[in-house]
Amino acid sequence: MHPLLIVFLIFGIPAGVALGWVFLRGSESLRRYILTRIALTLPMVLILISVVFFVLRVMPGDVVSSTLGPKASEAARQNIMEALGLDDPLIVQYFRFLGDVVTFDLGDSFIGARRPIVDELGERLPATLELITPAAILALGSGLLFGTYAAIRRKKPADYSLRLYSVIIYSMPIFWLGLLLRLVFSVWLDWTPIAGRIDVVTNTTLVRTTNLLVVDSILTGNWAALRSVLHHMILPAMTLGLVLSGVFIRLTRINVIETLQEDYVVAARARGIRERVVTYSYALKNAMIPVVTVMGLQVAILLAGAVLTETVFNWPGMGRYLIERISSRDFQAVQSTVAVFALFVAIISLAVDVIYSILDPRVKY
Amino acid sequence: MAQDIESTPDPGQVADWELELQKVGFARRILMARKWYRTDWWFVAISTVMVVGFLIVAAVPQWLAAHDPLEQVGPRLLAPRELPEQEILVVPIGGTIASIADFEPDVRTPVAVAIDTPSSEAARDEAERVTDEIAASGGEGRIRLQIERRETAEEALAAVETGEAVAAVISSKTYEAIAAEFPTLKDSGAVSSAEQDATSFPLGTNQVGQDVLSRLIWGARIAIIIGFSASIASFVIGVPLGLLAGFVGGKIDRVMTLIMDSIYAFPGLILAIAITAVLGPSIFNIIVAIAVLYIPTYYRIVRGQTLQARQALYVEAARSLGAKSKVILTRYIFPNVIPSVAVIFSVNVADAILTGAGLSFLGLGLPLSIPDWGIDLARGQEFIRSAWWLITFPGLAVMSVVLAFTMMGEGLVEIFNPKLRER
Amino acid sequence: MTERASTDQRVTVGEPPLKAGEVLYSLRDVSVEYGTRAGPVAAVDGVSLDIRKGEILGLVGESGCGKSTLGKAMLRMITSPGNISSGELWFDGVDLLTLTEKQMRELRGARLGMVFQDPMTSLNPLSKIVDHLTETIMTHEPRVSEAAARDRSAQLIGRLGLREERIDDYPHQFSGGMRQRIMIALALALRADLVIADEPTTALDVIVEAQFLDLLRELRDEFDLTIVLITHNIGVVAEVADRVAVMYAGRMAELAPVNDLFLATKHPYGQGLLRAVPNIELDGTELYQMEGAPPNLLHTPSGCAFHPRCPSVMPICSAHQPSFQPVEWDHYTACWLYESHPDKGKAPDA
Repeated sequence: MHPLLIVFLIFGIPAGVALGWVFLRGSESLRRYILTRIALTLPMVLILISVVFFVLRVMPGDVVSSTLGPKASEAARQNIMEALGLDDPLIVQYFRFLGDVVTFDLGDSFIGARRPIVDELGERLPATLELITPAAILALGSGLLFGTYAAIRRKKPADYSLRLYSVIIYSMPIFWLGLLLRLVFSVWLDWTPIAGRIDVVTNTTLVRTTNLLVVDSILTGNWAALRSVLHHMILPAMTLGLVLSGVFIRLTRINVIETLQEDYVVAARARGIRERVVTYSYALKNAMIPVVTVMGLQVAILLAGAVLTETVFNWPGMGRYLIERISSRDFQAVQSTVAVFALFVAIISLAVDVIYSILDPRVKY
Repeated sequence: MAQDIESTPDPGQVADWELELQKVGFARRILMARKWYRTDWWFVAISTVMVVGFLIVAAVPQWLAAHDPLEQVGPRLLAPRELPEQEILVVPIGGTIASIADFEPDVRTPVAVAIDTPSSEAARDEAERVTDEIAASGGEGRIRLQIERRETAEEALAAVETGEAVAAVISSKTYEAIAAEFPTLKDSGAVSSAEQDATSFPLGTNQVGQDVLSRLIWGARIAIIIGFSASIASFVIGVPLGLLAGFVGGKIDRVMTLIMDSIYAFPGLILAIAITAVLGPSIFNIIVAIAVLYIPTYYRIVRGQTLQARQALYVEAARSLGAKSKVILTRYIFPNVIPSVAVIFSVNVADAILTGAGLSFLGLGLPLSIPDWGIDLARGQEFIRSAWWLITFPGLAVMSVVLAFTMMGEGLVEIFNPKLRER
Repeated sequence: MTERASTDQRVTVGEPPLKAGEVLYSLRDVSVEYGTRAGPVAAVDGVSLDIRKGEILGLVGESGCGKSTLGKAMLRMITSPGNISSGELWFDGVDLLTLTEKQMRELRGARLGMVFQDPMTSLNPLSKIVDHLTETIMTHEPRVSEAAARDRSAQLIGRLGLREERIDDYPHQFSGGMRQRIMIALALALRADLVIADEPTTALDVIVEAQFLDLLRELRDEFDLTIVLITHNIGVVAEVADRVAVMYAGRMAELAPVNDLFLATKHPYGQGLLRAVPNIELDGTELYQMEGAPPNLLHTPSGCAFHPRCPSVMPICSAHQPSFQPVEWDHYTACWLYESHPDKGKAPDA
């Protein structure tokens, strides 16, 4: 089965089930809200993809010349153009493009390996997913934990040092942090491998189905592979997660501080509720809502960071693929990759919105 | 104070301390704020100093950088403060000889060298050069050397000690290692007078021989130019659009918001990469790419504030008194929007610089002839093991600038946001 | 009583309950200071007050006079930059200022309750009503099971006029008046001895306010409550209070049973307040307005704080602060009109 399809199934089935459950259990207005939200997502994706399409057509540097070289004969050029459909009017190309996207026919990568782009992405997307998921968990977790801590110890040394830490780490270019970590842990200490997702030898033993190597190695009981994969994952995930944790610590802190000043917190204290309960049940729960919402937006930052991290650690994900394809001027691939990014972001923000509306009973649909 | 205090003082009776506060000048107020805001005040103060420092460096790099950033001014991959390896002349302490030029002409002066080193050639070259100098100034006579070969550098130095040779020529690195064993000898400088003034570089040199420090200084200029230009561009476009959308509402608002949200939700760097890829590498295109990224940020915040302000009671009151839209916009809404925008701006510059560095790191940004931190980092990667200074300093530079602007924004947020003040 | 004794280590089991009229809570010379940019401000300045069991004590004064601060101080809920700078808070034989925070926490909600001004924001929007109540109950009585707590809660809100089924609803689903009742329910959940109601009706409309006040009276009788009702609305106080305390500029101006206060006001400030109340029988005459403006707490006027505005001012008033003492049976005031002093009548030194 096609790896890309499998990935979508793995995420899609539970998401679909959850969505279905919410749909059926929820009120009439909740259903309407979800549908509206989905409906709104489509234009957004459409806009992005269209922009990508038109922008790439406008690009200086002709696909054809790059492929064939400037000395190509007119006949050869004509052939290629026909094959790519580049000789049709722009509008026709556009709609054909849209049709292709919907049916997942992303065309063939034009330069280099000449593989179907879907296959390439099928390998790369899971790689990127495997990178950003632990990073996101690390960032969110440490953000909530330390952000709350800083908020309750406000204006004390702990608060200031956490704030300083979060600001410093956010100011570091991701790629620099990655390089430094690599220097320390891979080169000097030799604790972690230099690059890649899995060590070459073990790789040959691993049967890939989903291309999510963690999942694959668990499914096949290949513990050596699992160890290798996790070993390779530590540094890149940590790099990405650390930088993002800076954002989350600051965000959580501010939200918890504001929440702690709300009237219902004062009222709770007046009833003798324990401070720890007040902090977590009252303040954090309320503060988490805006934080979680922002998490949806932070997926964008995660992906951006992933591009840089993948470059530094030679991680074969979508980000590095994009860069490679740009330098080779492989427009078909670039176009498709950006489209996939757009879809990804759209789905995640949709999910976050729906989660938000469930979490907060006040939201009126 | 207790929640319910809403003292409406008599117009004639403004609290005394408030009057006093208004009397003092701006500078005094800043200093007085220190007592109140304490650590946050320091955050802002230190970062402002840093920002001003960077702006100065960016403005006049030519005065501050010792070398031209594009020129090869030294040997490759020199460590910070390391002297380039040279052939030096080693002479007895207290002797009369300081350089080959001090040798007596027409006398075969014994000079000790270690075999299999370029020392003898260096010595001979210098001897020839001095001879030419003498001839050029109308003198006569040749500097003649008698090369005393020894097995090792130690033996060569020993020869000087025993007087078998007047001086020795060995590499500076070797001498450094064994100098302690020959306390009666001293380093008299480079053999070749051309190399006499060779200096070390405070941050070393890169793989092309360029001075890292100078590249850092010039890189600051590019970084700040990009950061500020992009932010100003985003500001100039985003703020009016936000005001418009918030104030006018309706279809314009909905369409614009949809577009802006789409851009905003999309991973910034990837969008910038795409735009740069399309437009081609140049400073202007990078600025455009980054500017596009941040327009939605300004748009959203300004729009939100405008919406809030527009619905505020005092605006309704003003409207009921017949105030025109333009007046409402400028006198009521605009002043409320400015503080948040100021904070966003500083954070924006920080982000823009980061994104710019990221773009050039990926090789998508600037033409290679411009000294830039991102490019230095990218090129320094392969020397990560041998020349750590190639990536450390540019990275530190980026971090410091971004940190300064972020801290400034962060500190301003704490000070401006009344909700965060303790009640 | 035994239930409470198990969580509250101070009260010895078997202590006889106070009889109506005995002093339940005694404030002695309490001052609360706030540190501001321009210096310390005394929001409450040397207030002494005895609260008697079973009474409804109205605490009135204009905005900024310190009544809310005093209410919070009684529960030791003053937070930085404020602090209780001096005085004693005697409750149940103990000065509350000597207790640890943990001990204070045990008292709050269980024996001392507070109802806040704004019912909209005083309830956690993410918690159901039942959760608010059961959490309060189970925090102070950990041995109570969740089911039992739930039953108690349901009964309680039923008693307060809300439908018991609504116990699983969220705060935003109730109106202001209902939320205020929920706040009382929370205060009553553990049979508090003393409930401090800080401007409880300010956010309610007049009709709901009337119902609320009736409810207070009923509850006082049924649950054996003592209530301190803080408000700037003297009409409310006239309706419902047994005794009334008037504050000005952080100090006590007058304290008397409600009828005595209204019919025989002693302090010029109190007199001015009552004169200022619009009267339906006034036809065409101008409304009375007290001279001057509320005091600036940073620079409190010397001597008696009211002297710049007092129609009966005397030379001594700006020189010495009068003391708060009884001038008739159970009627206290702080005014030189009723107090003798050797300097009284003398013109101030030039």
